[in-house]
Amino acid sequence: MPEGRFALLLMLPAALFLGVFVAWPLVRLVADSFYEIAPLAGTREFVGLGNYADALGSPEFGDAAWRTALYTVIVVSMEFLLGLATALLFNSLGQRSRWLRTLFLYPLMIAPVVAGLLWRFLLIDNFGIVNELLTRARIIDDPADIGWLSDPDIVLFSVALPDIWLTTSFMTLVIFAGLQNVPADVLEAARLDGATFRQQLTRIILPLLRPVIAVALIVRGIDAVRAFDIIAIQTNGGPQRASETLSLLIYRTMVRSGEPGLASAMATLYLLAMLAVAFVAVATIWRPGKEPA
Amino acid sequence: MTAMPTDRARRTRRGLLWALLISVIVLYAFPFGYLVLTSFKTPGEAIAVPPSILPGTWSVENYEQALNTRGVRPAFLNSVSAAVLSTGLSLLLAVPAAYGVTRFGTVSGRVFVMAALVTRMVPPVALGVPLVDMMGDLALTDTPTGLALAHTTISLPLSIWLMVSFFEAVPRELEEAALVDGCGRVGALIRVVLPVVSGGMAVTAIFAFLASWNEYLFSLLLTAVNAQTTPIVIANFQTQYGLQWGPMTALATLYSIPVVLLTLALQRRIVAGLTLGAVKG
Repeated sequence: MPEGRFALLLMLPAALFLGVFVAWPLVRLVADSFYEIAPLAGTREFVGLGNYADALGSPEFGDAAWRTALYTVIVVSMEFLLGLATALLFNSLGQRSRWLRTLFLYPLMIAPVVAGLLWRFLLIDNFGIVNELLTRARIIDDPADIGWLSDPDIVLFSVALPDIWLTTSFMTLVIFAGLQNVPADVLEAARLDGATFRQQLTRIILPLLRPVIAVALIVRGIDAVRAFDIIAIQTNGGPQRASETLSLLIYRTMVRSGEPGLASAMATLYLLAMLAVAFVAVATIWRPGKEPA
Repeated sequence: MTAMPTDRARRTRRGLLWALLISVIVLYAFPFGYLVLTSFKTPGEAIAVPPSILPGTWSVENYEQALNTRGVRPAFLNSVSAAVLSTGLSLLLAVPAAYGVTRFGTVSGRVFVMAALVTRMVPPVALGVPLVDMMGDLALTDTPTGLALAHTTISLPLSIWLMVSFFEAVPRELEEAALVDGCGRVGALIRVVLPVVSGGMAVTAIFAFLASWNEYLFSLLLTAVNAQTTPIVIANFQTQYGLQWGPMTALATLYSIPVVLLTLALQRRIVAGLTLGAVKG
């Protein structure tokens, strides 16, 4: 058997699986998006681009898209800043901080559902420990002063907290791994030349880490855009839809309102936007041809 | 001013950095620690106002209540069977595929890996909407098999990427020697290459297992009664029975134990897998 055909044979089962359970459902998704479907009556009527017009014309969809983008920016930037700071701390303390790195790892393994519930419990207005501690530290006067999950103005930030908590350690690990590859003698030379810490960071460390950081940001960005469970558990999109991102809106349109056609059109738009943004991000930030990651 | 710091100044600075790092870790560990502590309070104390950090009386009442709630034990079994099935299926499909991609360097291989990467960008809800219909057609709705298949759509692409990296690290000479010694291609793979990448397969298996164990949306869409997994039951605690925070924290703690143990036992390999997975895509 020629080599190429043998390789193909090895890939075939996985390719078949992805074809049947990923590609085919997505084809169905796009097909469904052109129909008005009533699941209970069992009817299916071709409406062309009607669902798309409905989706794009509805303020709900626009708001949810905007919130999804904002949520992603909050999550990824917080994780990046905290992750970078912690990685630099670990790096400057060297091998003796290894056991602390192990401790730092644990939230990565916790189910997002558990994390969502946990933070709901921590932040809940009257008996949440966060407000209680803030009161005891005299930062706020009364535990009811901050309605983390009930104030529409700050809820999008509050629902981002568990995600930031869960995955900052991922950022830390990846950046730390990158830092291990920054040559120590280059930094030493810069230090001897009188470079401040800030100069070392912006002129040497960050440029050298660029490929690693780019990949970490893209990976985390993709995950944050797709977030569902953490937000669903904490607020289910509320109050007054102030934390309803695209995944939640599509879920609600499909399950609660029973409009699979409209939900499919929304999901198709979401998918297309995501692929487009991801490809642009990969092409411009990553630049794999110039800087091998 | 760029005067060289004295030894003493350097030591104080180091001490400060340690203090800073340890406070970061304590802050970071607090949420889950608080969950575990709450699970050992009495159900009443768990929702007392103002809340306390340590249990006033240590009690396992929350655990008894949680474990005796209808549906909790079958949900644990469902979580285990869905995770084991999808991990097995992922490895079974990913290992040969990744080997095919790395060893023969064909164009189709590169296209295949890129396609697998694109799968990672698909929002679960976009896949979940049509999967509901499809599992209905296949009569797999509300079965652990159907759920395991859905979970494999998440874990398979990741497994392929991880396995490709592990196979790439194996020198080609190893199997060429085996071929010269009279092994067939399949024999060389099974007897020579697989033992070398067994550590990598363990990492891949853990990530596949985690993906299924922690998954929520597909479980919500594709299960009703018979195949319900623990995350769904944990989430239901807050609506169906009012706010039962005490038993819920107990169940959440129990659900995290297998994963925490697994992580502690294999932490160095998991770190390797995470950084590899991130850097490769």
